[in-house]
Amino acid sequence: MTKFRALFASAALALPLALAAPPADAQQTTLRVFVGGQQRPDVMRQILDLFQQRNPGMRVDVEVGGATSDQQQQYLNTVLTSRDSVIDVMLIDVIRPAQFAAAGWAEPLDSYLGAERDAVMGRYLPAYREANIVGGRVIALPYFADAQFLYYRTDLLQKYNLQPPRTWDELMSHARTVMQGENNPNLRGFSTAGAPIEGTVCTMLVPMWGAGGQFLNAQGRPNVNSPEIRRSFQLWSDMKAQNVTPPNLAEIPTDRIRVDFQAGNLLFAMQWGYAWNRFQNDADSQVKDKTRVAPLPAFAGNQPATCIGGWQVAVSAFSRNKAQAVQLVRFLSSPEVSKMQAILASHLPVFPEVYSDPDVLRANPWFEFARNSVVTARSRPVSPDYPEISEILRTNMNAFLAGTRTADQAIADMNSRLARVYR
Amino acid sequence: MGASVTATTGAKRYKLSKLEKSERLLGIALLTPAALLLLAVVVYPIVELLINSLYSYRLTRPGYRFIGLENYAYALFEDDRFWHATLNTVIFAVVTVPGALVVGLGLALLANQPFKVKWPVRLGLLLPWALPLVFAGLIFRWFFEYRSGIVNAAFEFVGLPPQNWITDPNLAFFAVCVAIVWKSSSFMALILLAGLQTIPKSLYEAAEVDGASKFQQFVEITLPMLKPAIVVALIFRTITAIQTFDIPYAMTNGGPGNATETMAMYIHKTTIDFLDLGYGSALAAIMFVVSAIATSVYLRHTRRDTGRN
Repeated sequence: MTKFRALFASAALALPLALAAPPADAQQTTLRVFVGGQQRPDVMRQILDLFQQRNPGMRVDVEVGGATSDQQQQYLNTVLTSRDSVIDVMLIDVIRPAQFAAAGWAEPLDSYLGAERDAVMGRYLPAYREANIVGGRVIALPYFADAQFLYYRTDLLQKYNLQPPRTWDELMSHARTVMQGENNPNLRGFSTAGAPIEGTVCTMLVPMWGAGGQFLNAQGRPNVNSPEIRRSFQLWSDMKAQNVTPPNLAEIPTDRIRVDFQAGNLLFAMQWGYAWNRFQNDADSQVKDKTRVAPLPAFAGNQPATCIGGWQVAVSAFSRNKAQAVQLVRFLSSPEVSKMQAILASHLPVFPEVYSDPDVLRANPWFEFARNSVVTARSRPVSPDYPEISEILRTNMNAFLAGTRTADQAIADMNSRLARVYR
Repeated sequence: MGASVTATTGAKRYKLSKLEKSERLLGIALLTPAALLLLAVVVYPIVELLINSLYSYRLTRPGYRFIGLENYAYALFEDDRFWHATLNTVIFAVVTVPGALVVGLGLALLANQPFKVKWPVRLGLLLPWALPLVFAGLIFRWFFEYRSGIVNAAFEFVGLPPQNWITDPNLAFFAVCVAIVWKSSSFMALILLAGLQTIPKSLYEAAEVDGASKFQQFVEITLPMLKPAIVVALIFRTITAIQTFDIPYAMTNGGPGNATETMAMYIHKTTIDFLDLGYGSALAAIMFVVSAIATSVYLRHTRRDTGRN
């Protein structure tokens, strides 16, 4: 990709290169970090204040954008295809390093880590070590880990003398019992992401994994016509038919699940780790101390599965302050910051030992088993073309949940479009 | 430029005087910056786009390979999604262009009434037009939201069941059309209001004397006199309707599935999300052709019209 041929050529031409920042103060370096609205920019600010205190020559600004992973990526796509140097460090979703490596957008960190490389990488949970090394090069460092869990209302389950469900069938029958008993028109049994956004990919894959299925077959080709994927479609259509899920499931993005649960309108939710902190600490939370977290259910006779998530910190290949940016990235990816995030935001740690830290466990009692969930969590398909693969899966899941496509139509569409990506 | 053109187009050639020569030089010198700017911001990107459309060019994969018309062939003969998006765009245009014309004409007639205080009416006319498209999309998305939207609240108030405005394909299409008509009719109204104010009052007075009803006055005087303004408004509106992007993007993101996806949205997804610049360029070139055809139909119509006058 030596030739710059982005569509933004016109914009790039219009902006004279002379606009580039002048070397204002020789001592002061200003770095800019891009973070999404869902990754707690307020907590990031606290962490950066600490960094600035310890490094008086540096100032770090936070730029916040994008309510969902795909919106964040859209913004980064425009900034990075135009080789803009405005962002030095960016948070990227765990599914992105392959794309960043192929596009040459992230500065490989191997030479900065030097002899320490293997020792540094060896300290992370294996899944995050592997996710961030693409083709033998370190593309980013892990910032926080994540997985989807089952959030449930202890007060409601106790009232009806129910145990947290271990299978999807149990979950549906519990939900029906509680909904009938409560007779509250606003209360629904279960919610997950259904809007055409990244999280909806997991809505399709988690029950498929929980039925023992795989997305790729032994030859590395997508396997979207399996009996297991049909069980996933069947599960969601059963939940819809029994009114367990909200009627507008197909317009629900990730944070809307958090809002609905927090308002007391959900019994169960499939949600990422960050929600715990909001349920316990937000002033408007109706579910404080009434919420617990458990591993997601599976189909009877299968192991439970969850989608691996989490965010990485990468140095932009177009940054003008790479050495300082690497210094910041290493700080953001340290055990100290991992612990801070765990306490301030219930962000899951990327270091195994932080899970058993007493301060961390006091803030998040459920981190005891969370480590096991993260370690056994499954990856969405790894590919430089992930944005297109994701769009194929989420659009079809969304159309299915909205009732505009049958499972057969969705599977046929996924098959034909995935074949073009994987050709 | 005008001077130099008349100087050279005469039947008999004669030598330019010194003054004429220097004037011609000045003319060229004055035109150069604008011409260069246009070359840089209009011609260069279009040429670049047309070249890219002949290549397999994805930022997610190394390589830039000439494939001739393969991108076009795939779009036209194999890509159902492209045709679906094209169809959606056409339906949006067919519904929202007349819709905005009718609503806009009504608003213009209302604003043309002799109100004592004119500014609240004019402000009401201008506000939707001044609002950024994405804001309008987000506002209407909340209006039509299932649980907290005002539309479902109104439905429940009168005893109707709440509707899945955003997740039912037909209702979502309808909701997007409502938002587009609301947003674009104020621009229509502005153009039509300007047209209305050029119609001489004496015509209406004469009609009044001849005993024509208000409706007859509207059909026989207002509409014919307003026709040039209506055609201009329709041209502008149709071109922007073909480019429909912001409102469905903010309201439904093309969903449910691809039910409200337009051509511009599909191009955006292909280039910005999938980073498939080759295929995206081909799609953009096709959309340009569609847009050019629609515009030329109108232009031919106006030319015939002015010829008759």
